[in-house]
Amino acid sequence: MSSVATNSVGDVGRHVPALASALRPSAHDELREWGGPPLVRGKRVLDLGCGDGRFALGVAQLATRVDGIDPDAEAIADAKRNARRTGVRNVRFATGSAQHLPHPDATFEVVILSWTL
Amino acid sequence: MVDALAEIHRVLAPGGILVDARPDSRVPAYAERRKPRGFQRFGVVKTSRLELANDRASDRAIAHVVREGLFNRMRRGRFWHLVPFSSLAELRNYLREHLRFVHRADWVVDAATRKRHSNDQFVIRRGVRYELLEALRSPRNTSPARSR
Repeated sequence: MSSVATNSVGDVGRHVPALASALRPSAHDELREWGGPPLVRGKRVLDLGCGDGRFALGVAQLATRVDGIDPDAEAIADAKRNARRTGVRNVRFATGSAQHLPHPDATFEVVILSWTL
Repeated sequence: MVDALAEIHRVLAPGGILVDARPDSRVPAYAERRKPRGFQRFGVVKTSRLELANDRASDRAIAHVVREGLFNRMRRGRFWHLVPFSSLAELRNYLREHLRFVHRADWVVDAATRKRHSNDQFVIRRGVRYELLEALRSPRNTSPARSR
């Protein structure tokens, strides 16, 4: 087991779901606990409940492609902004629900439910 | 939740991996003061009753899809995540407004100690659980509609 610390974030994340990711472990810390980069390296990854893209953007450089889906349109707008800001090209974000995914069968090798289910 | 998991199974290639990670409500969280070396436990923070029920529902949904042959359990574990606060007041405000936790910690130090260290840095140490599940090719008996 390990401890993962981040900097103090004050009010961030208390009220706005899209910002709540600031209070969560970083994508790399979570990935390390789950088994490390091989879990997503060269894979097509779906991040369900992606919020502002914390995890999707964090693992994009390892994966072939990352799709992020979240029912919160505001969070998806933030995720798209974050993707533009970081220059990540292999990530796509869209609003949607986990019950009706807009992807063909067997599209992904990895699906992430990070603080979602 | 079961229908969402069935949909996830559909978009996963056979042998693909589902990662389910979430706060671990089976263990309490702790309010701790940051010391020059290590931490001092100040209180115990329980999960709200509603969130406990939600977590149990998630557990049941996972168990259902495993039983139905959609997924195979591969590996699970837990790690500890520290949520930092610049003072005890900031930690208390966080608890007051946080939906997942009960709004007050059960303090294990006396009021004088809390007051003496109120401007120190604090953390909430919370457990995060995860499980990796493998998507199976041929479900033995897929019937998510039954448990919706």
